[in-house]
Amino acid sequence: MSDTQNSSTAVSNPGATSRTFERITHEFMHIWQVIAALVLIYLVFFVLSPPFRSFDTMLSIFGQASILAVLACGTTVVLISGGLDLSVGSIFAVVGVSVGILLSEVDLPVWLAVLGGLGIGAGLGALNGIVQVATGVPAFIVTLGGLTAYKGLAEILASGRDLSRFPDAFQVIGSGYIVPMAIMFAAAILTGLFLTKTRLGIRAFAIGGNEDVARLAGVPVKRSRIYYYMVGGALAALAAIMEVAKLNFAMPARGQSYELFAIAAVVIGGTSLFGGRGGVGKTLIGMLIMQTITVGLSYMGVGTSYQRIAIGIIIIVAVYWDVWRRSTR
Amino acid sequence: MAAQPVLEARGISKHYGGIVALDNVDLTLEEGEVLAVVGDNGAGKSTLIKALTGAIPRTSGTIRFDGKEAHIETPTDAKAAGIETVYQDLALVNEIPITQNVFLGREIVRDDWLGRLFGVLDFKKMDREIRDLFAKLDIRITDIYRDAQAFSGGQRQAVALSKTVMFGKRVAILDEPTAALGVRESQMAMDLVRSLKDHGLSVIMITHNMQHVLNYCDRVMVLRLGKLTAVRKVSDVDGDTLVGLITGTIEGDVRDE
Ligand SMILES: Nc1ncnc2c1ncn2[C@@H]1O[C@H](COP(=O)(O)OP(=O)(O)O)[C@@H](O)[C@H]1O
Ligand SMILES: [Mg+2]
Repeated sequence: MSDTQNSSTAVSNPGATSRTFERITHEFMHIWQVIAALVLIYLVFFVLSPPFRSFDTMLSIFGQASILAVLACGTTVVLISGGLDLSVGSIFAVVGVSVGILLSEVDLPVWLAVLGGLGIGAGLGALNGIVQVATGVPAFIVTLGGLTAYKGLAEILASGRDLSRFPDAFQVIGSGYIVPMAIMFAAAILTGLFLTKTRLGIRAFAIGGNEDVARLAGVPVKRSRIYYYMVGGALAALAAIMEVAKLNFAMPARGQSYELFAIAAVVIGGTSLFGGRGGVGKTLIGMLIMQTITVGLSYMGVGTSYQRIAIGIIIIVAVYWDVWRRSTR
Repeated sequence: MAAQPVLEARGISKHYGGIVALDNVDLTLEEGEVLAVVGDNGAGKSTLIKALTGAIPRTSGTIRFDGKEAHIETPTDAKAAGIETVYQDLALVNEIPITQNVFLGREIVRDDWLGRLFGVLDFKKMDREIRDLFAKLDIRITDIYRDAQAFSGGQRQAVALSKTVMFGKRVAILDEPTAALGVRESQMAMDLVRSLKDHGLSVIMITHNMQHVLNYCDRVMVLRLGKLTAVRKVSDVDGDTLVGLITGTIEGDVRDE
């Protein structure tokens, strides 16, 4: 993406283009290759598998993508800022169980239970950030610790409890394709606005690009980082709420490996694992690529184990692509 | 008795474990002057300005600003006092646009509820101010939405220097502003440095270029192995003497008291 961008930069354009125009072309340059990849993959399955050709299939790709895509929006923010959160799958589990308890035992109204869940997610995310900036232990280690610790917390909270059969008003959040898709787009748009229009949001790119420059320029790097982890935790919580509503039960085993699927989607979309570049639009496309492959392979009778191998290879290819882009810049 | 100095640092030291990177250095910056800091690689020049601007914690030393004791412990403190610094190799973030680089850490939020509540930015205002600034300084960069890495060393340095005009109220500190620049680009950068003076800034400039010291600076201080060895009026020295002081073949005359 940046190589195409650079070739057009070699000659500086004399006419001052408008900000919006520049932004749109810029984004498009970044994103078209990933869109092309998505279309190509879709077409391959379209040709190879007759049952894949229906509109319902397309809907189910979006539907299946929606929960993970919401989680991946948060991962996008954290990765852009040069951070990493391996614990979001476990935050997902804690929030799922907590919301279950709030609904079926505490009998909170739906909206309050949802808010409580989002708060717990944001809080656990913030804790990851606080531990990192306070101790200087790398994100990988802190959030790896969070991954097991939060998982344990979810198990403790859930033990001996039957968390199911929630109110109808709650189940709506996860029912069918339309509502989850609407939530996915709303979450993506809000996260996108956060990243491109707000002070805290655009600083994520600066911090991820060069933390030292940002610090010397007066950016409160540590405090900002904590906020990015909070956003990541809150979006993991929203995803958990969507899933609990969809399944109509909560279980601490849910969310397993979700952090890896999210990171995979973010990286396939073209957000840099090394920070400083990326966006939620790319992440949505990355997630659609992953889901298209998963759904397409299962239509062709390829088992989930082989699907995992395929996704694994794609992750490595995507990161290789990112590394290659950086070295040729 | 001359007007009082803008900046007066006394006994600045910086130790890295057992390494003494900077040993009891004094620095005085007079109003409206360009002060050069010279010295061999590793002499402690960058360490001096980092310690001075709160980029690294000082081991010891005090700073007076406008005659009053100043508490400069972080880069933000220095900026609040009106001191703007272009750090060596740490001036711009490659991955973000020029616009965002100029306002990094001081972004302007909208003057409405969106700005106050969510920190929504006033891009129009920032863009306008950047275009005005670049026009004023004759910096010919029109594609201000491009990432910083797309620009040449000279253009990047011009952008970094422009920040000192935009935000520096009193003092601009520049760490090797012409390092890694070609002849023509160096010239452009030095013209900008000269114009800082016209914008009411007092300047501290680290450089390896003796010609720049002689042509653009008022006074020069020489660091050697972490110690201040000489301070001269530029009108009183020539290039050979400076080189001698830097390498140590000419004995310095600043002594620890
Ligand atoms: N972070 C650090 N840790 C240990 N030593 C350092 C560090 N930074 C600088 N130094 C040492 O301090 C001395 C002065 O460095 P510096 O101020 O960068 O020199 P200059 O800018 O004059 O070339 C050098 O000997 C350098 O090795
Ligand atoms: Mg240096």
